[in-house]
Amino acid sequence: MRALGRTIGSEWAKLWSVRSTWWCLACALVLNVLASVTLGGAAATEAMRAGAAGTRVVASSPVVSASSFVQFALVALAMLAITSEYTSGGIRVTLQATPVRGMVLAAKALAVGPVMFAAGVLTGAVATAAVHLVLSVDAFGGFVVLPFGEVLSDLVGMGVFYALVSVMTVGVGAAARSAAGTLTVVFMLLMGVPLMVLMTGSPALVEASLRMPMFAGLAFMGSADNLTGGPMPYSAGEGLAWLLAWAAVAVAAGHVVLRRRDA
Amino acid sequence: MISLKNLGKRYGDRLAVDDLTLELKPGTVTGFLGPNGAGKSTTMRLILGLDRPTSGTALIGGLPYHRIGNPLRTVGALLDARAVHPGRSGRAHLTALARSNGIPQRRVGEVLETVGMAAAARKRAGTLSLGMSQRLGIAAALLGDPAVLMFDEPVNGLDPDGVRWVRGLMRSLAAEGRTVFVSSHLMSEMQLTADHLVVIGKGRLIMDAPLADVLAGSSLTAVLVRSPHAGDLADRLRAAGIRVDRLGENEIEATGASIERVGDLAHEAGIRLHELRTREASLEQAYQELTSGSVEYGANA
Ligand SMILES: Nc1ncnc2c1ncn2[C@@H]1O[C@H](COP(=O)(O)OP(=O)(O)OP(=O)(O)O)[C@@H](O)[C@H]1O
Ligand SMILES: [Mg+2]
Repeated sequence: MRALGRTIGSEWAKLWSVRSTWWCLACALVLNVLASVTLGGAAATEAMRAGAAGTRVVASSPVVSASSFVQFALVALAMLAITSEYTSGGIRVTLQATPVRGMVLAAKALAVGPVMFAAGVLTGAVATAAVHLVLSVDAFGGFVVLPFGEVLSDLVGMGVFYALVSVMTVGVGAAARSAAGTLTVVFMLLMGVPLMVLMTGSPALVEASLRMPMFAGLAFMGSADNLTGGPMPYSAGEGLAWLLAWAAVAVAAGHVVLRRRDA
Repeated sequence: MISLKNLGKRYGDRLAVDDLTLELKPGTVTGFLGPNGAGKSTTMRLILGLDRPTSGTALIGGLPYHRIGNPLRTVGALLDARAVHPGRSGRAHLTALARSNGIPQRRVGEVLETVGMAAAARKRAGTLSLGMSQRLGIAAALLGDPAVLMFDEPVNGLDPDGVRWVRGLMRSLAAEGRTVFVSSHLMSEMQLTADHLVVIGKGRLIMDAPLADVLAGSSLTAVLVRSPHAGDLADRLRAAGIRVDRLGENEIEATGASIERVGDLAHEAGIRLHELRTREASLEQAYQELTSGSVEYGANA
């Protein structure tokens, strides 16, 4: 336990000593605000057109929808935490310091995960505030609301989603080793494969692809409005279970490769 | 302190390290020599558990590397000076390493001072010159104040002052009772640094002996004799099975015998000597003889 704590401390120090971490976080913030405000504007315009009584737009709801884009800025951060070690050869130094390979992987996941959680909650809060500010303008019909409980649960949900997607990315990174390979695999898992399947329209395949990590995340966050055009056909709890399963499989794959292969 | 037993490593159909058995002792600088591709770096990676041996074992103080708790406090190694995230400062790199092994933060400042990098500690590693990277790598190896040190071509890229500094550092680390294992292609430097030599070629052990023995064993180490009766002496020595070359009217060179033996034979024959001395082969010459059969990547003259 002590050794794991030390290794996490080391990974934590590594994470904050390179500029790319700060760049990715800045990107995530900007992207989150821009995408959320855009999606929020679209939602408000839609609400005005429908004009039904009692229509409201929860300020954090477009932020949840924006996660499909924002996730990639954070995936980049998680990916670099491991692939940069292979690019520079630093992995050999890391493994000299911590020869138990599973511990290195665990420490990376445990250092990156909480950062992503915080990044999700904080950038989400800023984006929610921005959405609320913009949609409060009369031109948007004043449908926007800021119910504390719902917003808080959306923010926490996003934090958990980003943390788990990042842990999955760390696992894929350990398995693929290169940035290009990792990015390709993670993109295909998150977006590429499910979108391709949606286009085929085969009901069984679509049903399965809705269990892939991004849609599982949307289900978990209770998203009503997303790329599939509606709410997920299963519960938030099941969404979380799928998300956890994807992260676990990726980390297990990364662990097998890290243990088996020469550094 | 380091003991290799029948260590072997195969990459595909290539045997990089072939049945290597060795003991490295504390208090000595062991020079690790061999032509390009001989398997030196691979051997070091095997010792550090970075690559998995195909056969045999590598133990440090009786333990495989991954069983050593906080290994940086026992083994410090420099394999590749450039293996640092280019965007991370030297100080941050060392800080992260120190944390991982519970090494006090003040050691970071100390080793930066030791290697003469204190002023450049905040520069990003990607902007360091090769020599400065090498110094940072040495700092990382020293960080945990380890009893075992391994350096893969540490003087690569260092200026003459730096080369001399590394020599002094290796000597003093060994004098403190540490086990020092260092590879290099600079024979003149090795001759001044090492107490003991391990020479490999094509992954196989060629020589594992004290430096003095390697030099004495070279056919280029010879006894030079000047005598007014050089011809008679040459006959006597040849009769005793010693190889003799005539260098001049009064001068001969005997190889394969100690200076004492040559002197005694001259005395027994009652031959007057005007000069009797050894001419020691350089390590460069001795090394060339040892490895002439195992150079793989030689240029055609
Ligand atoms: N990861 C690897 N995969 C495949 N072959 C390898 C690998 N690492 C080393 N080799 C091969 O093993 C042999 C030994 O290489 P090694 O780097 O250990 O030699 P060396 O003695 O350090 O050489 P040099 O003096 O050039 O540094 C070489 O033929 C090399 O091509
Ligand atoms: Mg080498």
